Amino acid sequence: MQRREFLKYSAIAGCGLFLGERLDLITPAEAAERYDLVVARGAGKSASFITKAAVDAFGGMKRFISRGDVVVIKPNIGWDRTPEQAANTNPEVVAAIVKLCFDAGAKKVKVFDRSVNDPRRCYKQSGIADAVSSLGAEVSFVDDRRFKDVSIKGQVLTSWPLYTDVLEADKLINIPVAKHHGLAKLTMSMKNWMGIMGGQRGRIHQKIGECLADICLVVKPTLTVLDSIRVLTTNGPQGGSPADVKRLDTVIVGIDQVGIDSYGATLFGMKGSDLSYVKAGAAAGLGVMDLSRLKIKKLNV
Amino acid sequence: MSKKTLRKITQGLFLLLFLFLFIQTESKGNDTLGYPVKLFLDFDPLIFITTLLASHGQKIPLAFFLSLSLILATVVLGRVFCGWICPLGALHNIVGSLKRRYPQKIRAGWYKAKYYILFVLIASSIFTLQLAGIMDPISFLIRSFSLSIFPLLNHGIRAFFDSIYNANIPVIVNLSEPVYDFLKRRFLSFTETYYLQAVFIGSLFITILSLNFLERRFWCKYLCPLGALLGLLSRYSLLKREVSEGCTSCGICTSRCQGGAIHENNDVWNNTECLACFDCDDVCPQKAVTFSLGRKIHPSMDLGRRQVMLSFASGMLTVPLVRSTPFSRTDFSNSVLLRPPGSLEETEFLKRCVKCGECMKVCLTNGLQPTLLEAGLEGLWSPRLIPRIGYCEYRCTLCGQVCPTGAIRKLPLEEKMKTRIGLAMIDKGRCLPYAHSTPCIVCEEVCPTSPKSIWFEESMVKDRSGKEIIVKQPHIDLDRCIGCGICEAKCPVGNRPAIYVTNIGESRSKTNRLLLL
Repeated sequence: MQRREFLKYSAIAGCGLFLGERLDLITPAEAAERYDLVVARGAGKSASFITKAAVDAFGGMKRFISRGDVVVIKPNIGWDRTPEQAANTNPEVVAAIVKLCFDAGAKKVKVFDRSVNDPRRCYKQSGIADAVSSLGAEVSFVDDRRFKDVSIKGQVLTSWPLYTDVLEADKLINIPVAKHHGLAKLTMSMKNWMGIMGGQRGRIHQKIGECLADICLVVKPTLTVLDSIRVLTTNGPQGGSPADVKRLDTVIVGIDQVGIDSYGATLFGMKGSDLSYVKAGAAAGLGVMDLSRLKIKKLNV
Repeated sequence: MSKKTLRKITQGLFLLLFLFLFIQTESKGNDTLGYPVKLFLDFDPLIFITTLLASHGQKIPLAFFLSLSLILATVVLGRVFCGWICPLGALHNIVGSLKRRYPQKIRAGWYKAKYYILFVLIASSIFTLQLAGIMDPISFLIRSFSLSIFPLLNHGIRAFFDSIYNANIPVIVNLSEPVYDFLKRRFLSFTETYYLQAVFIGSLFITILSLNFLERRFWCKYLCPLGALLGLLSRYSLLKREVSEGCTSCGICTSRCQGGAIHENNDVWNNTECLACFDCDDVCPQKAVTFSLGRKIHPSMDLGRRQVMLSFASGMLTVPLVRSTPFSRTDFSNSVLLRPPGSLEETEFLKRCVKCGECMKVCLTNGLQPTLLEAGLEGLWSPRLIPRIGYCEYRCTLCGQVCPTGAIRKLPLEEKMKTRIGLAMIDKGRCLPYAHSTPCIVCEEVCPTSPKSIWFEESMVKDRSGKEIIVKQPHIDLDRCIGCGICEAKCPVGNRPAIYVTNIGESRSKTNRLLLL
């Protein structure tokens, strides 16, 4: 091959590669409008279908996950409860996200939570470990050695031990479940980060709003998927009785954690401003609490 | 293959089976374990007979009748269990093989000690005192492993790998971590466990193994009450040892005999002491020893009438001796004695608990700990929940599943979730919302019942500057609380929690009550 020819082809190939990447981005979903939040509701539909529809409407997983990414997924696996009891994230929702990540080219998907009850029982009884390990995700119990002190320029916290895998991940996806909570009133995406906190995390309840906002200063998820397929309306965050659970068949996707939690409050007949951590998060500039300033796409699937 | 080799292989396999079942005595998150982890205890006739006697035959778990097969085997074949199956016996053999020299003289008459020990245990069990578990070899082995040896190994191995990890030596850490992962998956416990009295229980175990340096199988020859029971059962067994004319009375079989059964240079063979190990057959230079099955007149078994009577009497007298404490009063209950859910009423519980440690091994949170004197001397090493170490997991029923004697009943999940082991109380002098005007809801958050057993009263309090603050002050709903202790375990006022559980109101007791209904 002549040098000239080589340069020519290289240039074309280079352009092709460059354009290819650009072209790839302009998928139909991408070409559509960008939203701050997508709320997908599908009465009677499967949780994985609703989840996938919500992510697709939000631009598809390829918008967030690149080939070769190491993705950390943080569901709520805090309690020794079954999926019907709605104290943990719905296993089908987690599985759907894991699958979308792999489809988008993720190299590795890690799933874990620092459970409150015995982790073996939480992982098993929640259905999450079985649902995602069969898809090839790496399900591991929290290893105490991997909590490292992280300095935080917060209102209350100056540092806290956080889980290294979360901080080192290429991409981070938060998949909380929306439910009632005795002190925080509701627990959704911001409070789900308690599951990556080491040490005596119970102490943060003394100033819950400020502390959760402080943690969110250093933990920035790529994507948040709020599972509201089944929600606990009382006796949270554990519930226990079927009477505590309401079926909403809803999945909310977004990036702004404050915005998501503010919207999530409306599912329970509350406002974002009723929740101390949403207010603190908005005040710290972490996101938008005022729903009228958010572009929300509601779709029935 | 010689009988001796075959015997060693069999022993090894049973020891491995024992260790496998031991390691499987741990939750993987399911409601059941998936393996018959208490199998060796099910087959243990000493535990069976003493429990049967002590509990007067009531509520005996069916699995126990498996031990009848061992009784039958012993009646026919002699003490094959001791020589071929017993995992503690195999450990004695392993340690004993480190002792190079064989004894020239056996300790004549010492073998009787184990029979007297057995008679004490049997006599006390007739009078409802269950002490057999303290010395029963299977119970002793499981307890020592569960509470001391296995935690000790775990601690050592973890400390080793953790120090490599923390030192972060580049190449070595890449090699050590996969090995560590493998060990964690297959052999180590899920988390490190710690038990009160681990040092005491472990030292006792090591001491008993060390007796092999004094004399091989010292425990089996002189102390083991199960060996004694099997010895009695094998009195008329069909196992027959014959010595042919070729015997030169060299005495090597006498010195090698594992049970101390051969006396006076091969002339006397006590079949009740023979462990059927076949070492004498193997070692005989003249090949003069043969074993076969058939009837034979055995030498008389002279334990001494007076000594037998004395040991029975001692067993009887042990009962009032151990029980002459306030623990015998029905209106007395030690408040810290939180028994596992499903435990029988205390006197019935103590008649059955053999202190094997299975429940403590399987407990998810490490909360079940051995007592020292909290339940009286009679209750030594029986399980008690210490919520500060670990709470009772609401939906777990494993302790009742592994209990060999039914001291802890196997509860259906629905019943377990309603079984009260005690009640929580609040220490208002330490609780943050009460004493320090500080918000905290951890006890309510973790309370597993539905509706929750902890409810809030919103109260207006003032801080130092006089500013009014609304805090949620917790209250206990005594009708709902089951005393699982998760509130105590997770209370941020950690070193002396502001909420704590005592055994008042426990479902199993008719006297330790609090509420009218």
